[in-house]
Amino acid sequence: MNDLSDETEQAHDTPCEHCGIFTLGGDIPIQGAWRDITYVPVRDNIWSVSEGIYRTIFLKGQKGVVAFDTLTTPGTARAYAAAVGRVYPNNPIHTIVYSHDHLDHTGYAADMAPDANIIAHELCDKVVRARRSDGQLPATEVFADERKSYSIDGNEFELIYPGPTHGDGNIAAYFPESKVLFMVDTVIPGVGYTFFPDWHFTPYVSAMKRLLSLDWDVFVPGHFWITDRQGFIDSLDYYDRMSEFAQQAIINGLDPHDWAEVTKYTNLNLAGEFGQLFRFGEYCAMNLSRYMQQYLTGGWGIEGNWQQDTTPL
Amino acid sequence: MSQLNTGLFTAPNAREYLEREPEMSVDRISGRLWTISDGVRRTIFLEGHSSVVAFDTFGTPGAAKAYHKAVEATIPGKPIGTVIYSHDHLDHAGFAEDFAPEAEIIADEMCAKVIRLRQASGQRIPTRELNGTRHEIDIDGLQFTLLNPGPTHGTGNLSAYFAEERLLFSSDTILPNARYGLMPDYHIWNLVRFMRGLLDLDWDTFVPGRYEITNRDRFIHGCDFIEAVQEECQRAFAEFVPIWVMDAMQGYVAAKLGDRFGDLDGFGEHIGLIATRIVHHYLMGGWSLEDTPEPGYLLADQLT
Repeated sequence: MNDLSDETEQAHDTPCEHCGIFTLGGDIPIQGAWRDITYVPVRDNIWSVSEGIYRTIFLKGQKGVVAFDTLTTPGTARAYAAAVGRVYPNNPIHTIVYSHDHLDHTGYAADMAPDANIIAHELCDKVVRARRSDGQLPATEVFADERKSYSIDGNEFELIYPGPTHGDGNIAAYFPESKVLFMVDTVIPGVGYTFFPDWHFTPYVSAMKRLLSLDWDVFVPGHFWITDRQGFIDSLDYYDRMSEFAQQAIINGLDPHDWAEVTKYTNLNLAGEFGQLFRFGEYCAMNLSRYMQQYLTGGWGIEGNWQQDTTPL
Repeated sequence: MSQLNTGLFTAPNAREYLEREPEMSVDRISGRLWTISDGVRRTIFLEGHSSVVAFDTFGTPGAAKAYHKAVEATIPGKPIGTVIYSHDHLDHAGFAEDFAPEAEIIADEMCAKVIRLRQASGQRIPTRELNGTRHEIDIDGLQFTLLNPGPTHGTGNLSAYFAEERLLFSSDTILPNARYGLMPDYHIWNLVRFMRGLLDLDWDTFVPGRYEITNRDRFIHGCDFIEAVQEECQRAFAEFVPIWVMDAMQGYVAAKLGDRFGDLDGFGEHIGLIATRIVHHYLMGGWSLEDTPEPGYLLADQLT
């Protein structure tokens, strides 16, 4: 694993020229801030990069690079491009694949590779175009199918939309020769992220389980560390158990908005089963509160009520 | 044992929770209009010539039955002929089968699409769908206006304007306090701008879908509050506050807004939750088409 902490001062000081959906005006320090990026080979031509919290992949091609996502800010997008350049000098990022629509993963192609071809699922692209966020470029190539095979610059892979999971048009990238699966903001090591922002609970687990019909043994998530098939299955089991805990919490009279009580209830009732999971103390109570809403309000919007699909891919 | 409508519950021991009938409190607002609350959630109903027009159903079969009994006791001898869904959520509109199984159900067309998709046990499918932003309603001698200003909270959220009473009813949008929790299914990009648009109407009483009745000035204060949180969340994010840590967000935003909005009930308990939710709007960019500058509904054209 390598470290880019010795990047140039000029790169550190690059001002924020793309500001997402900030409306504050003026300088927005976090947007331009440099982040040190680590990179690691996964298998074959697949590399993974991370700034510690966010993770994505890129592929070495014959003439250039296929990069997935853009990381979190203009500063991290530039750092990501620099990391790619360290691994594969003098070869352009000619293609970016968007995992889904959210700015913290795909918001800054304008800073990373403004001339690249951008591939996205059409549901993702519809939201990106409607959002008009500063720095997030619309796709130049969209697909609407459940599965689509790509052969780009010597790399063969499939993009797969298993159904609504998180965000919009969230796709998995499947590398059958390498037996690697990459998907962002779905399976993540540890408990769920904060309050499961923009997760579509009704179809989520069944859609994710469809990916188990494919032959892979390495899973690269959009956050934290790389895991395997069992780690993937364990994560989905957590969602099923949280669904049961949430119903019981409502039956027991817990108010999901009473933060002190939700925290107390979580520590009392869930620590035994989940207390060893990464970030239990920070997020599990928020996970429970959000899951309780699923049963109080019903799913949210069309995607949050999409009926479960259990058919194999 | 009678057939129990369960919403989305699958737990085998949910019966007691679902059947429990809360105590309801009914208050008359005008000659034709009442408000009812279970202590947290709130809605309204009206007396027509020969029937009752009721908004929403409350959130369990037991609460729906308690609502029905309260209407019957308040307006004896007139059936509930019409139920209007404020929006799609089960905690407000989930149990018409228990509240008024024969009534006409009116809802926004997008609300109806979500309900058909959801197939929750007890949530009746609308029989009359409204398409558009403004509808002049005339039912059984009752005239009022239903408004869908755009995505605010949930799907197809309708506000009701009663010109005669100079009153606005809107469920789970602007609250009279700061008790928003994690702001479930709020569309942050559009909430305040669409709700402020309702200030173009002439009203001075605001009936929210939760907590106590309030007035125009407090409604404006509530809009100001959400906007101020949005601004301070951006500053927190811009200034490297660890936005995924609730205590950090609570400390930053509460310190900035305590003087101006500390008067809102629940401010201290909820500001960390609200800020954690809103700051993720700026991190992620909003959630789906409802949460964009030109809102729409993804996948809507694939539904009947």
